[in-house]
Amino acid sequence: MNIKKIKNTANWIVLCCSTLTVCLFLSIILWDIFSKGFSSLSWNFISSFPRNGMTKGGILPAIIGTVLLTFITTLFAVPFGVACAIYLNEYAKPSLLTNIIRASIRNLAGIPSIIYGLFGLALFVQALHFGTSILSAGLTLGLLSLPYIITTTEEALKRVPNSLREATLALGVTQVETIKDVVLPKALPGILTGVILTLSRAAGETAPILFTGVAFYINGVSASANQEFMALPYHLYMLSTQHNAIEQVRPLAYGTATVLILLVFLLNIIAFYVRFKNRTQEL
Amino acid sequence: MNTKSRERIDRLFKFIFKGTGLITIALLAGIFIMLFSNSILFFFKVSPIDFFTGSQWDPETKYSIIPLLVSTSFVAFGSMLIAVPLGILTAAYLSELAPKKLQMFLKPIIEMLAAIPSVAIGFLGIVLVGPGLAQVFGIQNGLNALNGSILLAIMALPTIVTISEDAINAVPKSHREASLALGANKWETLFKVTIPAAFPGLIAAVLLGLGRALGETMTVLMATGNAAAIPKGFLDSVRTITATIAIEMGEVPYQTTHYFALFAIAAILFLISLIINFIGEYFSNRLRKFHS
Amino acid sequence: MKFLQFILVISLTACSSSNDTIKIKGSDTEVNLAVVLAEKFHKNNDELLVSVSGGGSGLGLASLLNGNADIANSSRSIKYSELDLFKHWNIEIDSFVFAQDAIAFVTSDKLPIDSISTENIAKILNGECQNWSLLTNRNMPITIYGRQSNSGTYDYVKNILNIHFSPYAKQMNGNAQIIEAIKVDESGFGYVSVGYVLKGNAEGLKILNVYHGNSKTISPLDAKAIASGKYFFQRPLFQYYKKRDYKKIKPFLDFEKSSIGAKIIQESGYYAVN
Repeated sequence: MNIKKIKNTANWIVLCCSTLTVCLFLSIILWDIFSKGFSSLSWNFISSFPRNGMTKGGILPAIIGTVLLTFITTLFAVPFGVACAIYLNEYAKPSLLTNIIRASIRNLAGIPSIIYGLFGLALFVQALHFGTSILSAGLTLGLLSLPYIITTTEEALKRVPNSLREATLALGVTQVETIKDVVLPKALPGILTGVILTLSRAAGETAPILFTGVAFYINGVSASANQEFMALPYHLYMLSTQHNAIEQVRPLAYGTATVLILLVFLLNIIAFYVRFKNRTQEL
Repeated sequence: MNTKSRERIDRLFKFIFKGTGLITIALLAGIFIMLFSNSILFFFKVSPIDFFTGSQWDPETKYSIIPLLVSTSFVAFGSMLIAVPLGILTAAYLSELAPKKLQMFLKPIIEMLAAIPSVAIGFLGIVLVGPGLAQVFGIQNGLNALNGSILLAIMALPTIVTISEDAINAVPKSHREASLALGANKWETLFKVTIPAAFPGLIAAVLLGLGRALGETMTVLMATGNAAAIPKGFLDSVRTITATIAIEMGEVPYQTTHYFALFAIAAILFLISLIINFIGEYFSNRLRKFHS
Repeated sequence: MKFLQFILVISLTACSSSNDTIKIKGSDTEVNLAVVLAEKFHKNNDELLVSVSGGGSGLGLASLLNGNADIANSSRSIKYSELDLFKHWNIEIDSFVFAQDAIAFVTSDKLPIDSISTENIAKILNGECQNWSLLTNRNMPITIYGRQSNSGTYDYVKNILNIHFSPYAKQMNGNAQIIEAIKVDESGFGYVSVGYVLKGNAEGLKILNVYHGNSKTISPLDAKAIASGKYFFQRPLFQYYKKRDYKKIKPFLDFEKSSIGAKIIQESGYYAVN
């Protein structure tokens, strides 16, 4: 009996410890970055240009770059992703074609992001002659985001009860109108959650933008989409591996990491909030 | 608007929606064609035998994927050694033991771990894990395979925990109740009934985690030291396929052997992740069938 | 509606002209210098934006060839193979030497060694000499910190010494990583551009004096020796550009040639062209 008891306790400890370790990982990551990063955060840091060969000053162009980049990604990926999800959930009947589409989406989601980078390089930079630009990079991230947006949107559409669709269809309303006036408004919070989560991923991606348009440094801001751009994740990579005075710019790197993580968390929190509000409304 | 034009719009949109569905197929096909057409051009210039049997990646003279492949598997399997036990045990704790409130608290935390950008994890590899490893093992430089494995384990954990937890949760209550009724205690039930029943799902979780680890670029690029020799142990620097593409793609003139070579190694990576996803998919389907 | 907006945005953005940016790419050695130059240039001319990216010298020339750069920084002169590619695509290029650089060979400052011959450098880098005991009184394997094959510095060192690098040489992403690694690695040996071992950066490092055959030992920090071309590992830093783009980039090149430009180059640890 006693041995069994000890065994049970041991088991319990093992399970608890592994969970604790996972939590520990997260706390170490956040603690290390935030504790060293917050000291370099200031209004000046997020609102000014890098100075003195990027050893001083702020990260404004990187923030602007990331925001614009995510904006282009959204413009591209959301309409396509939502339309595709509508097709799959509202129109597609079980058939070979539907199965192939679904299989493609699953496989697209599993492709390493660097391969999207290669594809973006081959398609947007070379074939379509967009050059290395924020447009090419945004579209590449859009392709990367597509499968996630499709999957989350489809799930949101699935949660809309069929009775609603049937009721409007019975009134003689066409299917597109039903989707536009009934299904989409109902599914909107769910779609929004998925979109925001996907964008938070896209904003943190580095590999796909490496050779599609990100730059080390740009000495001004321009709204044109065929410019190169700075981005937060790449800026962090550059400051921590490429800069000529790595030790000197460590505080800037920590600051950039903090801003990047806060941005991503902010998007996540917004998504959780939308989801939460929606759930409570449904109840 | 009259009915006719409304119906026309209806048909038009149906057509558009279907078109976007087809775009996903086109995208996958496009990626496939891009990778393999360029790889074929590569194999016109370098023999596949050299590519698969050589031992050096030294662009412009020797193109062998072997050191890169060994490096990639080193880092990826190392990460699985850390992440799999940790992930599955955590999932078991979350679904079987944790009080409801703690569960509600821990789940978003693990999701947060997934949200941290890979470049931030790689940064920690440089500033925290690297120096740490250097001290613990008394080596000069902590940028090596072990560093990459630890970081990739952290990145794969959320995937493994979430999917394993779903798998364990999906085991019908009746299984557990039957086992408990037969006199088995909570632990015996967990380890001998619930986890075996969830096994296909757990394999799917591991494979999807592995897929994530294999395809990760920035973390390994920053943390593993990038020496393109075949590693002898976990404390050697390695250079994975993804890191090689990231380092070299920007700098090659288009349409040269080196350029094609990068597509060839990308094609191999693509195939590997495709196969892993495929098997993972198979197991999670089996789980679904098993429960329905 | 969304589709229409989308198509509108795409077509608008794709059509807008790109003449207002100069893209400078390549050469990890020159990138920080280029960043400072671009930063100061902006004060004089804010109509012309300059974007700078690093990578290796190969990256700059490849980008120039691929149409993704206007100026290719390169710490080595163009290779014949690259020249052939430019000819093949019918692109006429020109070059401009804007500064002089010297390669510094560095070790940890704890290592009892001050100078080294070019012959020994070659032996270490090609893997023939693997232990410090052959050069110093310390018995310790040598860890080589080098650059990646895309680096002009890598090519330069490889060609001037006429060697193949040992496959166990760590291939670091940039000069800065080599320095960071050697600071904490007593067994390290590496090569970096002299601009990277300037002020404050060189703490914990030793910059070796180099001699070739029977010549005098010279430090890469010796401006006089460099000016007279006596240091074995000294090289010009190039900027390549397409002839047809000269008009667009001229303001920037002029800025580099100006006295302000020369001052920036010197302050960054490089040597101005005489």
